[in-house]
Amino acid sequence: MKLKSANKLPPALAAVEATPLTELTGIELTGCYISDLLSDVLANAQPGVLWVTIHTHRNILSVASMKDIAAILFTCGRKPEAAIIAEAVEKGILLLSTPLSTYETAGKLWKAGLR
Amino acid sequence: MPHGARRIKNMRSRPTNVTREPAIASGNFEELMARAPVAEKTLNPGEKRQVSFAQVLVFELRVRNAMTSPPITAKPTDTLRSIQNLMKAHRISGVPILANDVLVGIVSIEDIITALDGGYINEPVEKWMSRKIVTLRDHFSLVRAVAEFDRHGYGRFPVLDANNRLVGIITRGDVTTCLMHHLERRAEEAIAKEAALAAARAADEKAPRIVINADVKSGDFESAGKISQRMREVLRARGVVPDVRRRAAIIAYEAETNIIIHSLGGRITATIDSKKVRIKVVDSGPGIENIELAMQEGWSTAGPLARELGFGAGMGLPNIKRCADKFSIHSELGIGTQLQATVFLQKAGATL
Repeated sequence: MKLKSANKLPPALAAVEATPLTELTGIELTGCYISDLLSDVLANAQPGVLWVTIHTHRNILSVASMKDIAAILFTCGRKPEAAIIAEAVEKGILLLSTPLSTYETAGKLWKAGLR
Repeated sequence: MPHGARRIKNMRSRPTNVTREPAIASGNFEELMARAPVAEKTLNPGEKRQVSFAQVLVFELRVRNAMTSPPITAKPTDTLRSIQNLMKAHRISGVPILANDVLVGIVSIEDIITALDGGYINEPVEKWMSRKIVTLRDHFSLVRAVAEFDRHGYGRFPVLDANNRLVGIITRGDVTTCLMHHLERRAEEAIAKEAALAAARAADEKAPRIVINADVKSGDFESAGKISQRMREVLRARGVVPDVRRRAAIIAYEAETNIIIHSLGGRITATIDSKKVRIKVVDSGPGIENIELAMQEGWSTAGPLARELGFGAGMGLPNIKRCADKFSIHSELGIGTQLQATVFLQKAGATL
């Protein structure tokens, strides 16, 4: 799945009503990984995936950049503080937020074809 | 047979024209080689590799690269005696005759000898010169030139350009000299390249060892990942493949967070050289009560704050072990824990 357009959300992310917290860039999502345990993400996430989590602490950026994760989607309407968003921009990681729960998010992303 | 006369001396000394022609397409090359192994005749067929390389050159090089240019010429009205003097002065064995810039004949050293014998050395050239001239074009390959030498038995050919203008003269000796010159140059290039390679390799061996170390404070979740990131930047700058970079970074990150979560503080030292990254982690206690248990996935003693932040999955040590090519851990209650993990840079690592 490609995020090509600067303003248009790709179908899977639109399906979960995601709001971009950083500017949309031409990245490519290779899949999705859902976990709230950082070590689990470090061990098991593939590069280029969309990471769905409830964590908004800056540790997620360290983990994401280490694993070359393309984008992080926060569920339950969570949003990290401004400093973390700024750091994400610097690291080139796309941040998004959805009001849906992790479970609903997972179901909709799967249905929309992000596999 | 004017062309058949043998040259008496080498051509007057001059820098060989060494303009490099584009190499021939490799696809045609095998075919050409099979068809015309001509170079073996003209070159010393000693070393096989050299001969085949000379063969490459005879296809690459053109007549214009080997010919003597501009040629020494004379007019039809000149006497054979003046030609003899020209040959003597320039140490050449053949002189093309031009009338109004058009090639009309050629006189060889044999023609001169015959003239001396016959007593007509003072007569004009046009009466005795050879008018049937075989010429070569300046764009012909040397392999073709060699074939023409073989076919006609002549010692030299005048060389014409695309406009039929006489631009040079070529002998078998010129072909050989040109080839030798190129062989020498290529050999020098190869030696220089090899030396540069060896130097680069030696420099790589001696690539400055970089040591990154930092103290890690207990409970300092904000700083987690800093050492890992710095190490990753160094590895990227050194061209280490992403997978290996990632494994080293995960080790450092898990070690950092372990110190933050579990210890009273500690120190991480990453030593990077050309072959490996060695990450050494020392903390000042309290020590792990049961290492076997700690190495089990899912087992964690992390407190509620760490768990709140996404740590405490009980995967830190197993993750480090999995990412490392070499791993060791020692711990003593009341003293502290020492962990050492090595990632080899050259090795293609396991995917994570």
